[in-house]
Amino acid sequence: MIILCLTIFANIFKPGWTGANERTFLAVKPDGVQRRLVGEIIRRFERKGFKLVGMKLLQASEAQLRQHYWELREKPFYNGLVKYMSSGPIVAMVWQGLDVVKTARKMLGETNPADSLPGTIRGDYCVEVGRNVIHGSDSVESAAREISLWFEDHELFCYEECGQHWIYA
Amino acid sequence: MNMMAVRFGLRVHAARAVTRNPSRALGIGAARSLSSDSDFSGVNERTLVAVKPDGVQRRLIGEVIKRFEQRGFRLVGLKMLQAPDKLLAQHYVSLQKKPFYSSLLYYMTSGPIVAMVWEGHNVVKTSRMMVGDTDPAAAAPGTIRGDFSVHISRNVVHASDSVEGAQREISLWFHRSELVDWEGCDHKNIYHL
Repeated sequence: MIILCLTIFANIFKPGWTGANERTFLAVKPDGVQRRLVGEIIRRFERKGFKLVGMKLLQASEAQLRQHYWELREKPFYNGLVKYMSSGPIVAMVWQGLDVVKTARKMLGETNPADSLPGTIRGDYCVEVGRNVIHGSDSVESAAREISLWFEDHELFCYEECGQHWIYA
Repeated sequence: MNMMAVRFGLRVHAARAVTRNPSRALGIGAARSLSSDSDFSGVNERTLVAVKPDGVQRRLIGEVIKRFEQRGFRLVGLKMLQAPDKLLAQHYVSLQKKPFYSSLLYYMTSGPIVAMVWEGHNVVKTSRMMVGDTDPAAAAPGTIRGDFSVHISRNVVHASDSVEGAQREISLWFHRSELVDWEGCDHKNIYHL
């Protein structure tokens, strides 16, 4: 009975996904790497106050990308998207913080750069929707799915951040 | 008057053209030959640069990456990791006898590190210049340590100190499968071969 209650609690309060422990998946696409925007993008999230808990440069395989973009498989641009994303290296990252999924989407701007405000990443650095520099998870659920697709547990790090109490009350 | 000027100009131009051609050809040939010899192999030189736990905590990862990107070097390896004692002991094997060794290892294991492999012509030497003196008090403004650190014990980044050291360190920190070879679209605007 106690074990059952603990199990229920464990599932309700799953660590790593709620409050200041919420996590999102971001990836600098091949065009962002080619255009040398990796440092600038990381800098923006660092300055915002989010915590970087995982990062790596990799050449993504088509199989991995097809799985990542599974929800878009019926779209006419699906094959072109997979091809473009596997055309060069990407920088995959996991960022952590309060409301990080929603906030990261705001920081990225609209999918179409023409609709993106100045001050957002796509608003400042992109022109066309087919080359929009960065991917960000669109919900907490898809963030969890994407993080587990791109990172193994040992590639994600829990650490105490010295400035934490000046970012959160 | 006009006719004379035109003729004079033509003659001068012709003379210049004649004298230019041989030296130009020789110059170009020589330049290509020399640069090819040094640049062809050198352009693939690699170094290890690591943002230490203090640099990660202080949110300087993006700044460091930006400097190397903007210089024109190519990022071929990048990862965040909590470095195990064993790896750091091997990495700092040459400092084993130093009095600060144990506190260095403690500090390097105190938080995650961002390890990078950068590639380019003379990258080992150049990255040492970009990073600055080990002691930040002696590091020039404009260098990473000169701009972002104060004390030698917390100097933000590590950079390989020689080509041989770089090769050893890269194989220590990265598996071959973690390094990505890619052609930068701006290669021809960073190097003339």
